[in-house]
Amino acid sequence: MKYYKLSIILYILCILFSNCSQEPPTLTFAIGGAPSEVEYWEILIKKFKEKSNISVKILRQPTDTDQRRQGLVIPLKAKKKDPDVFLMDVIWVGQFAASDWLQPLAHYINKDTLNVDVFFQSIIEQVDMYNKKLVALPVYIDCGLLYYRKDLLEKYGCVIPETWDDLIHCAQIIQKHEKKENPQFRGFVWQGAQYEGLICTFLEFAVSHRGGIVDKNGNIVINCKENIEALELMKNMIHSYKISPPNTFTEMKEEEVRLFFDAGNALFERNWPYAWSLHEREDSPVQGKIAITLLPKTADGKNAAALGGWHIGISKYSDNKDNAWELVKFIIAYETQKELTLNLGWNPGRSDIYDDSEIKENVPHIAVLKKAFEYTAARPNLPYYTQLSEILQRHINACLSGKLSAHKALFQSQKEIERIVDIYHVSNQ
Amino acid sequence: MKVNREFKEALLFVAPLVIFISFFILLPICGTFWTSLWQDVAFISKKFIGLENYVRLLSDRHFWQSTYFTLLFPLISVSLEMFFGMIFALVLNETFRFRGILRGISLIPWAIPSIVGARIWQLIYRYDYGLANLFLKMFGIQSINWLGSPVGAFSALVLADVWRTTPFVAIILLAGLQTVPNDIYDQAQVDGSNFVQRFFKITLPLIKPIVIIALLFRTIDAIRVFDLIYVITEGGPGGVTTSLSLYGYKFFLLGDFGYGSTVSVILFLISFIIALTYIKVGRIRTSIL
Repeated sequence: MKYYKLSIILYILCILFSNCSQEPPTLTFAIGGAPSEVEYWEILIKKFKEKSNISVKILRQPTDTDQRRQGLVIPLKAKKKDPDVFLMDVIWVGQFAASDWLQPLAHYINKDTLNVDVFFQSIIEQVDMYNKKLVALPVYIDCGLLYYRKDLLEKYGCVIPETWDDLIHCAQIIQKHEKKENPQFRGFVWQGAQYEGLICTFLEFAVSHRGGIVDKNGNIVINCKENIEALELMKNMIHSYKISPPNTFTEMKEEEVRLFFDAGNALFERNWPYAWSLHEREDSPVQGKIAITLLPKTADGKNAAALGGWHIGISKYSDNKDNAWELVKFIIAYETQKELTLNLGWNPGRSDIYDDSEIKENVPHIAVLKKAFEYTAARPNLPYYTQLSEILQRHINACLSGKLSAHKALFQSQKEIERIVDIYHVSNQ
Repeated sequence: MKVNREFKEALLFVAPLVIFISFFILLPICGTFWTSLWQDVAFISKKFIGLENYVRLLSDRHFWQSTYFTLLFPLISVSLEMFFGMIFALVLNETFRFRGILRGISLIPWAIPSIVGARIWQLIYRYDYGLANLFLKMFGIQSINWLGSPVGAFSALVLADVWRTTPFVAIILLAGLQTVPNDIYDQAQVDGSNFVQRFFKITLPLIKPIVIIALLFRTIDAIRVFDLIYVITEGGPGGVTTSLSLYGYKFFLLGDFGYGSTVSVILFLISFIIALTYIKVGRIRTSIL
């Protein structure tokens, strides 16, 4: 009887021991997005396993960005060990870093003498540095572009617009003529519905007027002369110049804008790089008639392209940080980034990929993208950014609908955001 | 002794209901109230702040705007629903051919899941390829951005809500109408009363408890309205059609659980007070309960 008990204990110990020694450590990697993207990640992870013998469990997340954020915030807030590695939308990095959820990467980079200079430095500075610590790395970057109809500009003898005045002038002339045949036709379509995309559009208009959301010292400067001018211009495009459709502020999100332009109903379109391959597909009515360029500016302003994209980071609560770093290193490596570009059409965060001859051949418009990435304007990297964005969205949208003047909308936004800062900061101390 | 035993038995029968209500209704309500006393924001450490969230509500312009919408929306939509619901019920109460089929058909809007109904209306109101603008185009009229003005968006929501819930009101009222004995009407007719007199002197007083029940259901439902707005206007334009439930939800999404709970508590209080008022005014207790 005694031996019997002993043998059971030994057996259990054996199992435990063998588990510890044989099974390779498992990482958890949270990934979401379109189904095709998640499937591709699975292929990549398999390659990683072959290379490093580290097995990775994929934590599938929804496609919706807000739900993806919630899916990360809940385990991180509870200090869970999983997920170890995750992708963050560019605007979450500040919030996650302020919550002290991200593992600083300097130590690992120094250990492996990894060259960080290959990434777009302006993006690293604007997004991935928090309190002078590197906490994330760009995997996929995005920025706002101006799509235009080459054929129509040529037909009416217009040049590619460099300033907003050029764009309005050109759009008014062409719209007047084209409307005779196509009553739907509009000069310029952009994202104006009440959602995150509206902040990107607003930021581009604001920065091109030399305005912005925060100044160099991190103060909120929404209520400034330049921003008021920018917002008035946005409003006038709908209500005075009438070059943007009246549903701009109720319905126009990325896909609505893309479909409007895709149907051949618009001369100019503000959209993200993803629209390119869709406009250029074979059965598209605008196929071969379009080109991309930088968004216009004011005569004395500067070009601006709102920065989007996804960054990779390691959880501070991960119990497997060394392996997590191996995975990060694999994902940001030249070969992986190149594959992501070729297979998913992602624009890599590494600037050296843009000069790759194979990439240039397969993705010809990437040269314009590289140029646009030099003018990126990032949304502020603040812990309370989502709250700030919600307030701004509401007021800017109210202004575009004609309910508020530009001055009043920005004045009230500024006041409400300062109040949010006040409420949250008090509790921080 | 016997009374005591009966009481014990009664307790046994009531117990499942009491347990159910306390676990699934009372507990979450208390939990929400408890959360509303904290500063519970995703990215800063949790802190007990007492009633500070409620103080923050007082000076929150958008909270007041949402409250205004949350009260105005039921007032208008429920009045219309009661008016049309009553007409439908009176018609369906008459004897005519195909009455059964008509009763069934009239319930269709209510049978459609509300999120699907909302999507249907959204496709009607859409500016670019909406059905309403397609009609206008057929008559050569310029397209209208229905959801672009505060009045337009509000009426669009009211119309969608009236379409969906009038059948529900009609069926409840119809059940009430069928309890009214026919000989009272015959008597009144002999006394020389007309249709309007009969309706206001006989029908309405007799089905009053049922009317109050229908009002109660519909008002509480309309106060909590979420799915319809979430799909059709998303609270726009510029936030004028944001209901309190949508407003609270937004804060949960933004990661401010404390403030979101505070808004939910207020929403609960509003519907609770309205329910109590209806019960008091309708004297439901003495007449049917």
